[in-house]
Formats: sequence, structure tokens, C-alpha cells
Amino acid sequence: MPEKNLEDMLKTRNPVEMLRNSQLGAYVYPVVPAEFTNWRDEQLAWRKTAVLFDQSHHMAEMMVTGPDAFKFMNYLTINSFANFPVNRAKQFVPCSHDGYVIGDGIIFHLAENQLNFVGRAPNVDWIQFHGETGKFNIKMERDDRSPSRPGGKPVTRRHYRYQVQGPNAWKILEKLNGGTIPEVKFFTMNAINIAGRKVRCLRHGMAGAPGLEVWGPYAEGEEIRAAILEAGKEFGIVAVGSRAYATNTLESGWIPSPLPAIYTGEKQKAFREWSKPDSYVATGSIAGSFVSNNIEDYYSTPYEMGYGGFIKFDHDFVGREALEKIKDKPHRHKVTFEWNTDDVAKIFRSFFDPGVENYKYIDLPLSNYGSASFDAVKKGSRTVGLSMFSGMTWNERLMLSLGVVDPDIKQGDVLTLVWGEENGGTKKTTVERHKQTEIRVKVAPVPYASEVRESYGGGWRLRQTA
Amino acid sequence: MIAKQTAKNLEQLLQTARPVDLLRNQQTGPNVYPGVPAEYTNWRDEQQAWQKTCVLFNQSYHMADLAVEGPDALKLLSGLSMNSFKNFAVNRAKQFVPCSPDGYVIGDVILFYLAENRFNLVGRAPALNWVTYHVQTGKYDVKVELDQRSALRSDGRRKSYRFQIQGPLAMKVIEKILGKPPPELKFFNMTPLTIAGKTVRALRHGMAGQPGWELFGPWDDGEAVREAVFRAGEEFGLRLVGGRAYSSNALESGWIPSPLPAVYTGNAMKAYREWLPATGYEASASIGGSFYADNVEDYYFTPWDMGYGGFAKFDHDFIGREALEKMSNGPRRKKVTLALNDEDVTRTIGSTFQKHNRAKFIDWPSAVYSMHPFDRVTVDGKTIGVSTWIGYTANDGKMLTLAVLDADYAEPGTEVIFVWGEENGGSAKPTVERHTQVHMRAIVSPAPYVEVVRKAYAPGGWRSMQA
Repeated sequence: MPEKNLEDMLKTRNPVEMLRNSQLGAYVYPVVPAEFTNWRDEQLAWRKTAVLFDQSHHMAEMMVTGPDAFKFMNYLTINSFANFPVNRAKQFVPCSHDGYVIGDGIIFHLAENQLNFVGRAPNVDWIQFHGETGKFNIKMERDDRSPSRPGGKPVTRRHYRYQVQGPNAWKILEKLNGGTIPEVKFFTMNAINIAGRKVRCLRHGMAGAPGLEVWGPYAEGEEIRAAILEAGKEFGIVAVGSRAYATNTLESGWIPSPLPAIYTGEKQKAFREWSKPDSYVATGSIAGSFVSNNIEDYYSTPYEMGYGGFIKFDHDFVGREALEKIKDKPHRHKVTFEWNTDDVAKIFRSFFDPGVENYKYIDLPLSNYGSASFDAVKKGSRTVGLSMFSGMTWNERLMLSLGVVDPDIKQGDVLTLVWGEENGGTKKTTVERHKQTEIRVKVAPVPYASEVRESYGGGWRLRQTA
Repeated sequence: MIAKQTAKNLEQLLQTARPVDLLRNQQTGPNVYPGVPAEYTNWRDEQQAWQKTCVLFNQSYHMADLAVEGPDALKLLSGLSMNSFKNFAVNRAKQFVPCSPDGYVIGDVILFYLAENRFNLVGRAPALNWVTYHVQTGKYDVKVELDQRSALRSDGRRKSYRFQIQGPLAMKVIEKILGKPPPELKFFNMTPLTIAGKTVRALRHGMAGQPGWELFGPWDDGEAVREAVFRAGEEFGLRLVGGRAYSSNALESGWIPSPLPAVYTGNAMKAYREWLPATGYEASASIGGSFYADNVEDYYFTPWDMGYGGFAKFDHDFIGREALEKMSNGPRRKKVTLALNDEDVTRTIGSTFQKHNRAKFIDWPSAVYSMHPFDRVTVDGKTIGVSTWIGYTANDGKMLTLAVLDADYAEPGTEVIFVWGEENGGSAKPTVERHTQVHMRAIVSPAPYVEVVRKAYAPGGWRSMQA
């Protein structure tokens, strides 16, 4: 009998086995061309001049409207909504009843009783599930991410979504606007004139320089994009392709891919029954050397993701009780791992030795090979951390990864990252047969880039290093 | 002086800049392999499948088609081709390599003889443009119809689908689909088949010493045929090949995909340049690499350079005949594979992680960063040839290039130096980050590189002639 939902599927499978051997394929950043110029120069541009990120395709959206919209969304996140007026945005961090993160994303308070969530699909599923099963007076409209393999067919979304970032971003935006843009606080919304249209925008920023996120009806996207690139020409704006795009987080320190903590626990059972066999949580993949029979060992708390400062026990929310219990305990903390370049070169050398087993291929600039990455990081024989998102930045000329380490691990410690999967590799389609190896990694601050650390928004990025 | 933006045709465009400077600094950007995902599984396993099991190449998107029809079609095509058309008949295909009056290659495409007075050309645009020009300016009773490649259109459709089934188990898959042993078919011969209830034309092809087939038919039948092939292939380990692995298969089969169309110089080609648009393939093509010559003619190839000398048959009149007849007795260069030194490649890749003196990035598996790669190959500091396509193959665990070398240095086993990266930090092409030129040792090897291929590929074809 065909399985109807995730809970069904887990009756005969260990979730770790299932996710580590997922046949889903690569986690694709769809539709946007791989490179507009080349990923090296595209990475350099966000530090040196300005970039246009096209975020129109890789994230799902959930528009929540109605008298209970505000209350409903607050019920699903650790953050306080005490000071969350219209025209502000917040990082939205839903947790399971057991206090582990489902994921995170951005919610936009667009209007009275109207909030839009933008982020990975499991968060949208989680919102939808609670909206459908709870007693809230809301309406939900979901807009899924673009197909990973459109096969040359046209793609459409509800909104286009761009970011203009980098040291010259503000000059470009003011030129487009035809005058100064009032300085507003990070994550505050406003409007800007682009090509004769009034476009909504969110104050953002990168590497210490202010930038904006803009969005509007998808059909207007091409025109807005062309206007931004034209205005940005004299300031060296570069359109960023999908190969470089996802690596910007290695410098800014956000981990996009925690494992949604829903595979266990009685209280998550109803969600598992609601989740169809083709949903993210049922099809997504886990990649990497860290193996535990217990799927819960892959879960992350908001504390270790660096969101401890967001947690406010001033409202009732899913996971509150569990988080209250662990709030004063020692937590793992988020770090950047700086990979030893000789060890990285050794891996590339192995591809030229036919007959000798090769190591797992490192794709550049993004070397993840699943929806969520978990590589074991060891001190001697003890696993002291997990590496969760890896790649190269041309700005630092280094392989970096983001992850978490035990409380006693300090900056500057040299640890060992185990690269590749055990016994020749799992059955994921992204995994060629290979041999595991070790890479020395140095524990470094998060975010890695000093510019980001010193002047980004004022949220978790600052708290983390304080 | 004409500004680049106002140039109305290629001839006018070439008055704004020297051809070499124009082509080496093109702002066109990366050459996209459209329609097909970058990877279906992962490019390492996709490469290995064409040597070990079998693959499905989806060629429905990246090439242009030109239908050539009419009572004079055969005469027209024969007059543009050095190949003899004597034994050319319906249900056969040919490599079609038109040359300039000076005997240099304009393009290299496949010509399908579909029916009486009905032909189809498939490949890169330059050969197709050349044929179209002669139809429009000559006195032929011929009609042409272009079906543009997917990167240059937005309707998500083509006239035909085009798949190849290749690899040692390819014929087993075809047998399974047909439910009986596939008909015996000679190399580059065609036959009609029925797959998934659809009428399909099959062309006998081959790769890596194993027979394979190319299947094509009306666009709307494509999904059903593809699905049938994929299902039948499952038990034989058939893999779909994505865009990243696809272009690297030329490295193993020894086919140079990228001769520069020899159209930029010469009075005899002036009328053609005036006919060509200022925004077409020839006007936007890019040259990349360490081989820098002032004269764009130094980038042209003769048919012998590409290993097609054996095609030249002086039994008919064709453009370039006189020049080729002269060349046929002269000194020749030779197509080879260069196997780059593992340590030197590793060092080059390692330099990516240095703060200074970084080499041009080597992308995997294809390291090509222009539409027409030309890298310098030297011995004792002297340039002895050029290298074109470059990339890695997981089948041999090697970084390979396809090169054209002076005969004196073309002996397998000769050690040469391959110069990687452009001069003075790099040209202005968008695909080029600032970098430092490096030298890598390389061993001259046969083309095709894989021993089994060289011996077993189509008897009488250029692959065995080359050996």
C-alpha cells in the first residue's frame, strides 16, 4: 500500500537512513543562471562594488492575513512581537514543541493583519499545518519556490525579489530613487522609486554597507532588474548567479539549512501525518560524515544557531516550555571553520590517481551535496562540532564552513573535519564512490568577515561575538 | 569611424576594432548549455556511465537546426563541402565541414539526408549561416528554415527533440525498448523505428568504441520517447547526463567542437561579412586563452588540423578546393590530446587559495571559459601549437585538452608545456577574473585519448584515420 504521509514512511524506516539516502538530488538554486560573468568576480563585487541578488526563485512564501494573523505568527516564533509594527521585518524562528528549530526565514509585517513569510519550504509547511489545524481566524496563500528543473519551460512566481548590496549599493539606490533615501533602521520597510514605479523595500545591509531588498509583482521584475543594472553600471554593479549566490552566507554567517526537527516526538506526530510523501521533510537529504542512529542528534536549538538573544518568554509560543528548561544550560555555539588549504589541495590531488580511491569531490564555490549538511568535527577522537554549510570565498581565498561546536571549544582551536561519507558513501545521487579523509580546520568567529562583524544590523551577528 | 552600437553588419563591426581584440574581449559572457540541468545526479558518475554502462544525452536544446529543402539542395551543399557526395543517399548522415575560399574551416556540423531533396544541418551556427547566405545570394532552387537553439528563444520549444543513447550497454537498452534485436545499421546510417507508439528516426552513432544511437523526431513526441528510454535503461544503469558533464565528452571522443569560423579576413569573404549581422554568432563569439596572435588568421584551422584531411575529395567543385589542393601536399599540423601533468594541475588549483599569483580558475569538469578556447603550447619557449577544449575526465582521472600541434612535436609521448591563463592579468571577457599565467607540463597523447576508442570507432572515419 502506498505510504500516505511522513509518519507512515517512518513506520518502516529510520529517518537518518532515509534522509542520508534520499534520491532527491542536489539542492538546486533554480532558474537564475549559474554565472552571469564568473563566480569569482561575482563574489568580489559584494565586497568591492555592488551586487544584484535575484532571490525571486529559491524561497517559498506564505502570506498570512486576517484578524488573527499577528497573533498566529507570534505563536509560531521565539521572538517577541511587542515591538513589531507595520513596515518592519523580523527573522522568524519556529521551533518544535521540543524546542528545536524547524528552520528560519523573514517575516514582513506588510499591513495591519497581513504578514508574509519568505524562506525555505519546511517553515511554510509548518505555518500551513498550524493554520489549518489551529483555531485562528486567518487566510493563508502559499507560493512555492520555482521548480528545480524547469526544462526550458517558462517559470512564474507571485513576486520578484531582489537585493542590492555592497559598498556602492546606496549610491545606486539613491540614483534610482532620484534623491536621498531617508536613513531607516535595519529591517525597516520603506518605498523607493525605480523606473517610474513606487517599489516597496526593506532596509538590509551586507559587509557593513547599507543595502535594500525590493519586491513587487513578478511581471514587473524584468523591468525593475534592468533599471537597477543600468543605474548601477557606473558603480560597478554585478548580477550574481546561482553558483555564487548561496556562498554569500559563508561570509555573513547565517546557516540556511538546519534540519527541521519534526521526525520524532509525539507532539510533532500530527505534522508528520500532515506531511505528504513529496514534501521537503519527506524528500530532503542529509549529507556528510556525521552519522548517528538518532535523528535528534541532527537537530539544532535556537541557542546554538545564535538566536538565543531573540528568545522572549513574553508570549506563548510552540516550544516555549522546552526552551525555558534549557535556557540556563551551556549551549553549543555557532562558529566559522577555516579549512586548511594544503588539506584541500590534497583532496583535489586525489582526483588524478586512477586506481587509488578518490576523496569526495569539493565543488566550488559551494560544496554542499544535500539539503542539509552535517560533517563531523573532531578533537582527537571526540566529536565536538558539526559543519553545516561549506564553500569557498574568493574574498578570503579560503574554504569556509559554518557550524556549531561544544561550549569548551575556543576560537583559534585547530580541529579535524571529516570530509566525505563512510564506507564509500551513501546512496544519494550526488555522491560518487569515495574515501573519507580529514581536513584540519581552525575555529574562527562568525561572521568570518571582519567588516560584517563590526557593522552588520545589530542583531545576532553582533551578539554572537560580544 | 563607426561606433560598435551602430554597426549594421559584421564587416562594419570589424572596422571598430581589430578582430582579435574584439573576439578576445567579447562581453557575451558564459556559453550556456541550455534546457538541461547542470547535474542529474553528479557529473563524476555521469561521466563514468558513458564508459561503464550507458547514458542518455539530451541534445534537444544546445544546437541550431537548419532545414535545407529543394531540387538544388544537394548541389548547393556539395558545392560548399569538401566531402564527396557520390555515395551520399537518403537515410545517411555526414560530417559537413565547409571551408572558406582560402581553405580554412568555417564550421563543423552534421548533415542529415532525410528524404529526396530534404536535408537537415545540426550544430553550431557558423556553418548554418554560411549555407543560408549562399541560398539567399545564389541562384538555387532551395529553401532554408532555421530552428534556433534554446538559449536564443523564449518559447520553451524546438522543432525536434534529439537524444543520444551511448555507452557499452546502449544497444541492450535499445533492444529492450524495441522488444527485439535492433536492426544492423552502419555508422551514420538512419532507420525509422517505433518507440512508445511514436515514429522515431534513429541514426547509428557511437562513442568510446561502442555503438550508440541518436534518436530524433517531432518536439511533442520527445517526452514520451525520453521516458521510454529512461525506463528501459534503468536495469542497465543508464544515467541522464547534465550540462556540466555533457561538454566534457568531447575530450574523450577527440572531437574539437570549437573551430573559429574563418570569416573575419579576406576580400573574398567581404560580401559575406556584410551579409552577417553585427549581433550574430560570428560577431559575438569569444576567443579565450593564452594563445595571443595579432592576426586572427592564426586562429583558423585547416581540415587537416582538425583531423578531417581524409574527407577532402577533389572529385567535385567546391568552395576552397583550389586552396585545399595546394595544402594537401604541404606540411600539416596534427590533432592530439594533451594529458596535463597531475602535480602541475594540482599546484594550479592550489594557487586558487593563495593571496597572490592565483592562476586562472580551473572549473570542473569543463574548464572552457570562452566559445573558442586557444591556449599556447610550447617547447623550449617556442610556440608549437594551440590547445582548444579542456577539462577533466573521471574515467581517466586526468585533465585533458584537445590540441593541434606541429607535426614534429605531435608524436605520442612528447613532453610539451601548456600555458594556462591570459596575458597581463587577463582579457576583459566577463568569464575572466584577474589572474596570473602559469605553465603546466603535458604529455602528447593520441586523439581520441582512450585507447579503445582510437581503434574501434567507426572504421574509415576520421577517428581511425588519425591513428
